[in-house]
Amino acid sequence: MSDFAVDIETLRKRYSNGVEALAGVSLQVPYGSIFGLIGPNGAGKSTLVKSLLSILRPTECRGTMLGEKIGNKSILAKVGYLPEHASFPDYLTGRQVIEYAAGLANVSRAACRSRCDMLLEKVGMTEAAGRNIRTYSKGMKQRIGLAQALINDPVVVFLDEPTDGVDPEGRIDFKNMISSMRGDGRTVFVNSHLLAEVEQVADRVAILTKGRIIKQGLVEDLTRRDARYEVKFHGQMPVALLEWCHQQQMKIEGDRITCRADGPLQIQPLIDRLRAALVVIREIKEEKFSLEELFLQAVTQSREESAAAKGGTR
Amino acid sequence: MIQAYTILLDSLRMLRASKLFWVSMWISLLVAIVYASVGFTPTGMSVGFGLWDFDVPVIREGSAESEVFYLLLFTDVIVRFWLGWFSLVLAIISTCSIFPHFLQAGSIELALSKPLSRLRLFLMKYLGGLLFVAVQTGLFCLVAFVAIGFRVSEWNVSIFWAVPLITFAFSLIYCVGVFIGVATRSTVFALLGALLFWAVTLFAQWTEDFVYKMAYVLPEVGLSVDMQTGELQETPEDASSGIKKTYQRIQSVTKVLPKTRECTISLKRLIRFQERDSMLAGVDLGSVFAGGDADPVVKEAMQKYELRHSWFTIIGTSLIFEILVLALAARIMIRRDY
Repeated sequence: MSDFAVDIETLRKRYSNGVEALAGVSLQVPYGSIFGLIGPNGAGKSTLVKSLLSILRPTECRGTMLGEKIGNKSILAKVGYLPEHASFPDYLTGRQVIEYAAGLANVSRAACRSRCDMLLEKVGMTEAAGRNIRTYSKGMKQRIGLAQALINDPVVVFLDEPTDGVDPEGRIDFKNMISSMRGDGRTVFVNSHLLAEVEQVADRVAILTKGRIIKQGLVEDLTRRDARYEVKFHGQMPVALLEWCHQQQMKIEGDRITCRADGPLQIQPLIDRLRAALVVIREIKEEKFSLEELFLQAVTQSREESAAAKGGTR
Repeated sequence: MIQAYTILLDSLRMLRASKLFWVSMWISLLVAIVYASVGFTPTGMSVGFGLWDFDVPVIREGSAESEVFYLLLFTDVIVRFWLGWFSLVLAIISTCSIFPHFLQAGSIELALSKPLSRLRLFLMKYLGGLLFVAVQTGLFCLVAFVAIGFRVSEWNVSIFWAVPLITFAFSLIYCVGVFIGVATRSTVFALLGALLFWAVTLFAQWTEDFVYKMAYVLPEVGLSVDMQTGELQETPEDASSGIKKTYQRIQSVTKVLPKTRECTISLKRLIRFQERDSMLAGVDLGSVFAGGDADPVVKEAMQKYELRHSWFTIIGTSLIFEILVLALAARIMIRRDY
């Protein structure tokens, strides 16, 4: 059996109007991980998820999900999904929405009853479960959406922009709920353009732009690749030390020295020199590139490459 | 099985939430009560549970005509005009939004991401829409069944044929609404398209009906229409071959169209009098009031007129039409990206 819950060898989607939404995407999502797919609006994130769930038909698709060929409807029994801008029938109550999703997923009534109560409690909607969904706020609808995605006890859960329209408190709850899914042994695939949120929960990320994956891997690896340290000091810096810092390609701004380093060993000489010069060290911080910086860097690089390629073609 | 039950339950919940469903239901109940309030006295009939009495010698308590009259009131007035007309308009208005709403972004994805084939989803959703009419007609027939049982002492289960027939008649218009709704995802287009189509088919059926009477019924009873004055005149001659040819042409057009009106009318063919083992077809309210004095030639001509179409012409061709339209709608829904 494959180690990956989702293993896409190649996925291509070209719409009938000629727009290429996905230009041969390849990615792997290990079992039990939280995978974040990030990218600007229109990058093809939702198209990718919808292709995996047979909501739209990919032009070309080779790969497996939960060990079965992508497109096989039967695997959807083990999959949960919260679509972007989910719209539930407004004549149903919160509980009925979950029961409806359970019925469509072929969950037995007994299993549905026991899981429904548990999930309502988990998403904090027990009290409002009997109310009509049209009386819910956007955040409450998203909570019910999350519960319905989990009603069939899925192995993989796809969440498309799950915190869209949710207030800050709700976002923290969502983050905790997503983390707890990993604790339950589920694989979570999160689509989002809110990079900070993805960074907080995801183990692995892929950056998708214009239908192509331009970077993917463990969040730790991706952000560490260009790691840097920041040292804050107090007092005067001797000129000799300043010159040494410049020679070492370190950047000095006010009371702050920034240097690139792959690990703590590389900044020990700086600490030694500062101590020797009796400069007070106030703070040493390992600074990684945020996902946002990484994303912007990757997107800019991709744009430059495609511009260069176009120029070359001319 | 769980999936089918879920979709049908959802359809029922949707109907329950629809104001028009309840409006239609209350009017149905009112009509059913008015129907049940019609009774018979030793000298005639009464309306409003005995509130108003009318002396009608032919239709009185215990007479054979009273039973026929009571059933004809059901088939020729209530089924034809309320269930087969006004109630269907309300049903079309209520149900034309089912597919456009279901196909909205954010809604359809939830259903398509489940282990359920699109065709099955489409068909179950379609059947769910038919519940609007089936439930109403079923309840109405139940009240009518009890009323007939008490009024004429015959528990005639054959009146329940109204449920499949009226539901089928509705489905012939509803399928067009579904097709347009799936293709355009617009409730307005679906509703207008379905109503327009219904109007066209009704016009075609009325024309066929009228021309048949001119070409066959009137000559059979020795009458013809004076084309100058528009009045009926007695003529023993057979109809001209011209009008018969016109009828053949009209019939070839109406053959391919669904026959909503015919379905409703054909209920009379299915209602049987258990004790006399006779059919209702060919009998109308006029002949009941005429009692035994009804002209046998007219009666025979009317029977021929009501039985002029075979079941295949009424149900078969309509069913073929419905299957074709549904197949097209299903194809669009199945092949589309959402």
